[in-house]
Amino acid sequence: MNAKKYLKILFSIFTLVVFIAIGYVVYFTKHYPLPITSRISFDAKLKFVREYIDVDKIDTIIVGSSIGLNNIQGTYLESVSTKINGVVNLSVYEATTLEAEQLLELRTAFPNLKRMIYSAQYSDMPHPYTYEDYHPKILAKYMAHELNFFSWLKVVFDASKNIPFLINRQREWKEKHTYNNLFTYLGFDISGSVPLHIYGKDIIQHRWKNPQPNIEHPKSFEALDRMAKIAQKEGLYFYFAHQPYRKPLYEKYVRVSEAIKYVDQRSDKIFAPYSKAKLIRLQQLNMSDEYFADRTHLNDKGSIITAKAIAKFIDNNEK
Amino acid sequence: MLFNSYEFIFLFLPITFFIYFYLNQKHLTELAKGFLVLASLYFYSFFSIINLPLMLISMVFNYTLGKELSKYIQKKRKYSKKMLLVFGVITNLMLLGYFKYTDFLIFNFNRLLDTNMPLLHIALPLAISFYTFQQIAYLVDSYRGETKEYDFLNYAVFVTFFPQLIAGPIVHHSEMMPQFAKMKNKVKNYYNIALGLFIFGMGLFKKVVIADTFAVWSNMGFDAKDALSMTEGWISSLSGTFQIYFDFSGYTDMAIGIALLFNIKIPINFFSPYKAISIQDFWRRWHITLSRFLKDYLYIPLGGNRKGEIRTYLNLFTTFLLGGIWHGAGWPFVLWGILHGGALVIHRFWQKLGFRMNKFLAWFITFNFINITWVFFNAGLNGGNFSAAKKVLKGMFTGEIVIPDSLKELMLGTGKWLNLYQGESYIFIWIIMAFFLVLFFPNSMEWRKKFKLNFFYMICTVLFFLAIFILYRKSEFIYFNF
Repeated sequence: MNAKKYLKILFSIFTLVVFIAIGYVVYFTKHYPLPITSRISFDAKLKFVREYIDVDKIDTIIVGSSIGLNNIQGTYLESVSTKINGVVNLSVYEATTLEAEQLLELRTAFPNLKRMIYSAQYSDMPHPYTYEDYHPKILAKYMAHELNFFSWLKVVFDASKNIPFLINRQREWKEKHTYNNLFTYLGFDISGSVPLHIYGKDIIQHRWKNPQPNIEHPKSFEALDRMAKIAQKEGLYFYFAHQPYRKPLYEKYVRVSEAIKYVDQRSDKIFAPYSKAKLIRLQQLNMSDEYFADRTHLNDKGSIITAKAIAKFIDNNEK
Repeated sequence: MLFNSYEFIFLFLPITFFIYFYLNQKHLTELAKGFLVLASLYFYSFFSIINLPLMLISMVFNYTLGKELSKYIQKKRKYSKKMLLVFGVITNLMLLGYFKYTDFLIFNFNRLLDTNMPLLHIALPLAISFYTFQQIAYLVDSYRGETKEYDFLNYAVFVTFFPQLIAGPIVHHSEMMPQFAKMKNKVKNYYNIALGLFIFGMGLFKKVVIADTFAVWSNMGFDAKDALSMTEGWISSLSGTFQIYFDFSGYTDMAIGIALLFNIKIPINFFSPYKAISIQDFWRRWHITLSRFLKDYLYIPLGGNRKGEIRTYLNLFTTFLLGGIWHGAGWPFVLWGILHGGALVIHRFWQKLGFRMNKFLAWFITFNFINITWVFFNAGLNGGNFSAAKKVLKGMFTGEIVIPDSLKELMLGTGKWLNLYQGESYIFIWIIMAFFLVLFFPNSMEWRKKFKLNFFYMICTVLFFLAIFILYRKSEFIYFNF
């Protein structure tokens, strides 16, 4: 074969391979969350908001970890409350309090925002981790379809550089994130919450029986203070929905009751100077084990109860 | 701009290639050469525009001095030719020394005399070690009358030619400048393009797929807070050993491949170094152009092996000690140089005595020596303190022996298997494959000789280039640090 012909064939194959790769990325973008951030639940949320949420209609956002995703059903919050008209749950699995604070930076995507809810438990507070390489302005614009073509292309291009990773994510998506009896479930309801259908044998025993240690990092409270301050400054309501723990564990283990009381007390103190920030004590609902998926995650029945309680609290507060 | 980046592969390289050959096709050969210099300077500026003036000054200084040396007529001057050369070499070394070793010297001065002189925190200009060495060689050869009449443009292409600018190979003016002058090389050569793409692809694959994978495991071991088990110690050191090789030889392959696209043949820098059966053999195969430079411009001027046996040992040792220091300002690099210099002296003495060794045993000792000394080298790269090296070596030789869970019932053992590596047992498959590649596979230069325009090489090129789909890790090449 002469060199010119060799190169012609070689470049034809290259072109074909590049087109196949582009085709795959287009297919992937349509069906699976692109790895834009370091968390799959965050990526799934970005895709969800971009595709299904009318950002102009949103007046309430929820942030938090799995406790934010699983423990409030946004749809019920919206339907029960007289004040809330549009909810989107922006929570991301494993988000620390500082990361939840970073999630609140996405609020710029929602021009008619009135309130922000941070849904958490003391177990979200032991580490001061933050998202690295985090660009909330770009992400907010990406969600709200406000990026220009080249910026959008850059986001998609950067996210699709690692094709083997995309293939791996596609493979894992079905087995890990499409079953509502798994804690990794990512099937959002219309508000972006994830109601868990975990009952009976699907309950993981060690997560059911053993409470987490009572460790709260001081920076978590500093983040809570900053969240309240920002809300106050921008004229938004800020609610810290302190989620319940399984009653038998709360009663049996002093470290659990002490942790919950400590977080309540610290939050009260932090929120005192801010008229717009409020603590919602959900432990007081005295929910039975019937509503829990593990020690602190609620099942789909439990997350309706808390949503109703939060809605009631907000309606009273904003009278 | 890294060779392993989209902007280089899809923008800079094709644009430079097409404009260069377009200008040549239009018989604007000097303009084409000028364009290549500008493109190379742009390539350099992409990393560090602040250091561009320094490189330009160094280039003008050495060119002027080199010209003076080659045209020197004693009668008309107040200073001798040798003085001129010494001035040139010292100026170059002082420049290198200032940027590379000032903080190291201040730090040790403070420690030794208990003083508190502030560090200057001087950033090392990229590629300074490489372009300084290349130009010292040029000055010495001008002094020896071994350089031809070159104009500044030719000289500028020789120094700045972007494939070899950042991390070598350390090219010699006599092998580069005539190539740029050849008319035949100004016309697109499709065979060279095909071969260049093959070699570049191989280098890209080595860097992106192999070196960057081993880098993760090596860093895990060197950065670990806790003590390492024996397995973890060996995985860390072997990962580091393979990372360095695939990283640097990958870079060299890419440089050779790119240069071939421009019809320029860059000298080989690696020839299966881990197949070496003695330390002398290793240095004939590893970073060949550095060894050549050290031999021609340090070892031989020191007297080489012409001044008696003891002096030969001393010259050998000094050469490698300085070679170690050239790599970086830090005691681990000094120790690395001492160990290699010492090993070469022992090897020479062994040869002198006429002893022989079984080939496998010789390879085994050589490889393990190299692997262990790379631990110090890696520690030099990881901040320059010995604690990381100590931790890895401690793990390798006195670490806890841990058995995998699946074998626990059959064998005695405790602890968690590969705790540090989160049970990623496929590390072993990678290490075995790496051994296979470095010991039983032809090296890239052997592939270069075998290369034919057929479907096998075409498919290999395509497969190598699939590495572009995992360019998400923007990792620099190790030798950019020097």
